Amino acid sequence: MSERKYIEPQPSAETQPFWDGAKQGKLLVRSCRSCDKAHWYPRNHCPLCGSRDLEWIEASGKGEVYSYSYMRRADPPYVMAYVTLAEGPTMMTNLVECDADKIRIGDKVQVKFIETSGGVHLPMFTPQSAVP
Amino acid sequence: MSDLKPGASLAGTTAMVGVGHSDWIADYAAVRGGTKPHDSFGYAAIAFNRALADAGIDKSEINGLVSGPPTAHERMCEVLGIDPNWGTQADAMMGIQAAMMAIATGMCEVVALVYGNDQRSAAVNYGGSNAAGGNAFLSYIYHAPWGFTSQGALYAIMLRRFMHDTGFTERDLAEVAVAQRLHSSLNPHALMKKRVTVDDYMATHYVCEPLHLLDYCLINDGGVAFIMMSAERARRGKRKPAVIHGIGRHDLSREATSLEPRLTNFYRPAQKKVAEQAFNMAGAGPKDISCLQIYDSFSVHIPLALEGYGYCGYGEAAKFFRDTGISLARGLPVNTSGGHLSESYMQGWNHQVEAVRQIRGECGERQVKDCRFVHYSSDVAGKALSIIYGH
Ligand SMILES: [Zn+2]
Repeated sequence: MSERKYIEPQPSAETQPFWDGAKQGKLLVRSCRSCDKAHWYPRNHCPLCGSRDLEWIEASGKGEVYSYSYMRRADPPYVMAYVTLAEGPTMMTNLVECDADKIRIGDKVQVKFIETSGGVHLPMFTPQSAVP
Repeated sequence: MSDLKPGASLAGTTAMVGVGHSDWIADYAAVRGGTKPHDSFGYAAIAFNRALADAGIDKSEINGLVSGPPTAHERMCEVLGIDPNWGTQADAMMGIQAAMMAIATGMCEVVALVYGNDQRSAAVNYGGSNAAGGNAFLSYIYHAPWGFTSQGALYAIMLRRFMHDTGFTERDLAEVAVAQRLHSSLNPHALMKKRVTVDDYMATHYVCEPLHLLDYCLINDGGVAFIMMSAERARRGKRKPAVIHGIGRHDLSREATSLEPRLTNFYRPAQKKVAEQAFNMAGAGPKDISCLQIYDSFSVHIPLALEGYGYCGYGEAAKFFRDTGISLARGLPVNTSGGHLSESYMQGWNHQVEAVRQIRGECGERQVKDCRFVHYSSDVAGKALSIIYGH
C-alpha cells in the first residue's frame, strides 16, 4: 500500500481565508449577516439572499455522515463522504482513522485536519467515538 | 408562472426523420488493437451521411446544424460541407429542444444534429486528478483534494444514501445490468452482448463501493446523427417519422458545485416538474409509455428516473423491478438497445436512435410490440430533461 498523495487545492481570493483558518486548525464557514444562514462552499456573495454582507464563523467541527463511499480500488483505499455540519451546510470530505466497514449513515463525526505534502491542511472527519 | 405551460405550443410540431451512427463494434476493436480509425469529426461525418441516407434526403436540404459538445461548430460545418442558416453547439437533449424551436420559428427547416467523440482513442479523462480543472478548489463536480476525482464517486455516494433511505439493495440494482444485457444481446450494434445474471453482477468487483463494474458505462469512440424537420413536412417524406409530442426541462443548478441537488434529493423536484411538462404536452402519462430510454452513465439512473418521473412511488423502484419488470422479457422495457452500459457510450445520442427505431418498428428481435410512445430522460449535471416520441 502506498502513502496517500493528495491533489493540492488551489486557493482563490474567495477561499484563501478558509485555507488560512484550516492551517490554524479552524474550520471556517461563510455565513450571511442578512439572512443569518451559512453556506458551503465559501463565496463572497450569499447564494441564498444575494447579500455581500458576509462573515467567517468558526464551525464547531461537529457533523453527521450523510453518505459515503469506500474507494476500495484506490491505492491506498480511502473513504469519501458527504458530511452535514452542525451549522447546516453539507460538504464533500473524507472519513479518516476509522474502520471503513463499520461506517454508517448518521454517524457523528468530528473534524480532523490532514496536512498535504504541499503544506495545505485539508478538513477530514473522524467518528466522534474515536476522538480521545 | 402557474399558468405557463413550457413548450406546449411545440407539441407534435417536429419529427425525427433519419438517424445514423458509426460502426461502434469495428471501431472499438480497432481502437483496442491500437489504431485510430477516425477523429471526432470523422465519426460525426460517417453518422451524418448515414442519417441523410436513412431520411432519404440530400445534403442540400440541410439548413440548420447542431454540433455536439466535443466538436467545434464551424469546423463541423466545414467537414460536412454545409453553410447552414442556423446552428448551435449543444448536447443531444438541449440540441433537440433548440432545433424544435428553430424549426417552429422558421429560423431553418431541416436540421442535422451531429455528434462525434474519439474519447477512447484519445484517452479522454472523465475522472482522475486533472479532469475538469480537478485541483481548482471546488471546481464543478470534482472535489479533487479529497480524492473525489470521478463521476463514479458521486453516483456511489448518491446510491449509498438512496439505499439507506429506501431499502434498495445491490441485488436490486443488479437487475438493471441484467435487463440491459438481455437487450444488448438482441442488438447487432451493441458492444457488450454477453448476458449476465444477478450472481454474475455480484461477482464483479466494486469500483467506488457500492457500485460494481457492471454499473459503469462503456467508453468507446463513435458518432451519431439525426435529421429533424417539421412533422408536417416529415409526413410528406419517404420515411416514417418519429414525432416529438412532449419535451420538458428543469435545472437544479443553485447548489451545483456542492452536489446538493443530486445527493440530497436525487433530482426529484426537477423530475417532477419535467414529468408534468412533458406528459401534459404529449397528452400521455407513464401508463401510455411503451418503453423508456434513460441516460445511463451509471445504472443507478434507472431506479431514480422510474421514481422521479412517476412510474412508481418514491422508494418503490425495487418493488417495481420485482412486480412489473424493466426488460423486454417482462414489464416496461428500459434501455432496449442496452444503453450506455452495454450498447455504446454516445452521451445520450444513441438513446435517440433507439427511440426512433422503436417508433418505426425497426428493432427486430428487440422490437417492443405496438410501440406507441417512447420516453427519453436524462438527469445529469444539474439538469433534468425529457422527450416523448410517438407517431
Ligand atoms: Zn444571505
